[in-house]
Amino acid sequence: MTELSCGYGDDRDGAIVAFLYDDAEGDPADRARFETHLQTCARCRADVAALRGVRAQLARWSPPEPSFAVVSRQSSVIGRQSSVTNPQSAIRNPQWWRDIPAWAQVAAALLFLGVSAGVANLDIRYDRNGLSMTTGWSTRADGAGRARGSDGAGRARGSDGSDVAQGFSPAGQDAPWRADLAALERQLKTEFRSAQVSAMTAPAQTVRAASATDADVTRRVRALVEDSEKRQQRELALRIAGLLRDVNAQRQSDLVKIDRTLGVVQNSVGIEVMKNRQQLNQMDLLYRASQRQ
Amino acid sequence: MTWTDEELVAKSIRGDADSFNQLVLRWERPIYALAYRTIGREEDARDVCQETFLRAFRALPGFRGQAKFSSWLYRIALNLCRDWIRRERRAPVVQPPEDVDLIELAAAAEPSESIEDRVARKDLMRLVEHAMALLPEEQRTAIVLKEYHGLTFQEIAELAGCPLSTVKTRLYQGLIVLRRELSKNSAATR
Repeated sequence: MTELSCGYGDDRDGAIVAFLYDDAEGDPADRARFETHLQTCARCRADVAALRGVRAQLARWSPPEPSFAVVSRQSSVIGRQSSVTNPQSAIRNPQWWRDIPAWAQVAAALLFLGVSAGVANLDIRYDRNGLSMTTGWSTRADGAGRARGSDGAGRARGSDGSDVAQGFSPAGQDAPWRADLAALERQLKTEFRSAQVSAMTAPAQTVRAASATDADVTRRVRALVEDSEKRQQRELALRIAGLLRDVNAQRQSDLVKIDRTLGVVQNSVGIEVMKNRQQLNQMDLLYRASQRQ
Repeated sequence: MTWTDEELVAKSIRGDADSFNQLVLRWERPIYALAYRTIGREEDARDVCQETFLRAFRALPGFRGQAKFSSWLYRIALNLCRDWIRRERRAPVVQPPEDVDLIELAAAAEPSESIEDRVARKDLMRLVEHAMALLPEEQRTAIVLKEYHGLTFQEIAELAGCPLSTVKTRLYQGLIVLRRELSKNSAATR
């Protein structure tokens, strides 16, 4: 292919771009010069036309709509930030939470549940009296005695003496999961102790959180778990919807292609049939002519 | 009454959070679009958008109005995009737009638009995304700012920190690459 030459000079690229975008800031004299040049330069005319085509194609590219309003999160974050004394922490909050993978969030929720149980001094026992669960600190001393108590199967007492949970039928001292329960209890207490140690060095806000009531803690844990569940459900729904869309798009695309191909085949078959008919007619005519002779 | 950006900025600096929210409302979509077209990932573009406004809010007391508020926002967003690209250490990943639904597209489109046209339109969007992802960051940024945000050459030069002639060269070179890629891909899909 022969390369068309252009003698516009060094600033050819800039002149084309300025012309293409109708640069109002540029020097009108430069623009007039380039316009004059365009009338005589086929190469520049071709470039300008092609790049206009590119711009037309670029205009078709729009980003997907955000699946949620950025501003709603933004406004709430900023609203919170303006009311706190430490803006830094308010800014960081939404980021760190969203960056943690789902499995880590679930693990964190479980750990939080464990710490909460520790805060509440959750005491779970399963003995001949059945399953018992108590909370609170004041009855710590009589915990061992309670295991030996005989206040009826399936009953449990809380720190204030009230029944906390109703047990089910006793399974005996050597129930197979008794050891697991004991291990769970130990683990919860260990985690609580470590949480207590870290709470000593944490800011005052953390200390306040640790001293929250049982109800608060339970509500927060429940909220965490619900959030996690909702998020996972939403992600699953999005993935399924995306998959369906892809399948649908592919199906429609395939249908179009099949339609096209069928049209081409029908055309070619039709042409072939017509040709065959013409040949048959010609043969028939020849045959009749030969018969007449 | 419609306040100008500068008036809203002044009110925000005086402590009016609602004024800043109005600025966010006004600029969130352009900033999101800029981030999406620069890095090519919807989720990350949303993060960049959010972080842009948070940084702007924090830095607002230091904003002296030397540049337009929008230019200042663009600069923050572009710096964040640049950080993202460096952090990922790879070219921007272009994903097919998840929220593009053919049914919705059909509803929004002209009644006469056929399935074939719709598919072709979607294909073209993917081609453009793919071609844009091949551009060097500087060229892509220049094209996005000029083509989709209508910034002047001078404004782009100030944002990019380069001479005006360099901006034009980047635009030209980027458009030439796009022309080549788009024609190549169009031919391949035909």
